[in-house]
Amino acid sequence: MAFQTRRKYCFFKENNITEIDYKDVKLLNRFINDNGKIMPRRVTGTSAKMHRKVVSAIKRARTIGLMPFIDSGSE
Amino acid sequence: MRYYEILYIVNPNFERKKLDETMKEIDNRLTKTKSKIINHIIWGKKKLAYPMQGHKYGTYILVHYQGGNKDKLYEFDSWLKLSDLVIRHMIVRIEKEPDVLEKVDNESPVEDKEDLKSGKDEGLGDVKEKISEEKKDEETEGVE
Repeated sequence: MAFQTRRKYCFFKENNITEIDYKDVKLLNRFINDNGKIMPRRVTGTSAKMHRKVVSAIKRARTIGLMPFIDSGSE
Repeated sequence: MRYYEILYIVNPNFERKKLDETMKEIDNRLTKTKSKIINHIIWGKKKLAYPMQGHKYGTYILVHYQGGNKDKLYEFDSWLKLSDLVIRHMIVRIEKEPDVLEKVDNESPVEDKEDLKSGKDEGLGDVKEKISEEKKDEETEGVE
């Protein structure tokens, strides 16, 4: 099998982060894929509560131009 | 009283004087709404994730304030939207009282935040690689 089973964990729980700032692009970059799409919870392992916060933070960051809506990669 | 945060983008080609004028203008408008300004700092010149009004770069400016007259704040919001000084802005309500930030007088990109919350990186290996690649890109772009 090509896939190895990885232990899933909530990134925020591990690091004791309770609030997410939309300006913290480095943190939010963990939760988008190459195309700039938000990765599903089943992939990232984030808890439901924190995933909702991640989503709203990414959407805010997109509005103000800190993160891409679509990252085609050819710029 | 509620606390709010504005992040707005101005033309990256603005000179220092013009930038100060813009900030002063926004200060004045905000003060008229009986708001109390806590922070008003230049966050730095950054590359935009996508072009806005033909700009690839933008100077980000951050404002923290305590809300005043609600109706006047609505007016202020629409003024910002119509103003030519600002490329884009976003007003967000914040739950806690913001800390008073030090005024840093530089227009270069702020890279300090990159080191924050680097924490544990296991698990999302490929994502991490991608982030580091992007970081390199940013660094090279900053040089030019």
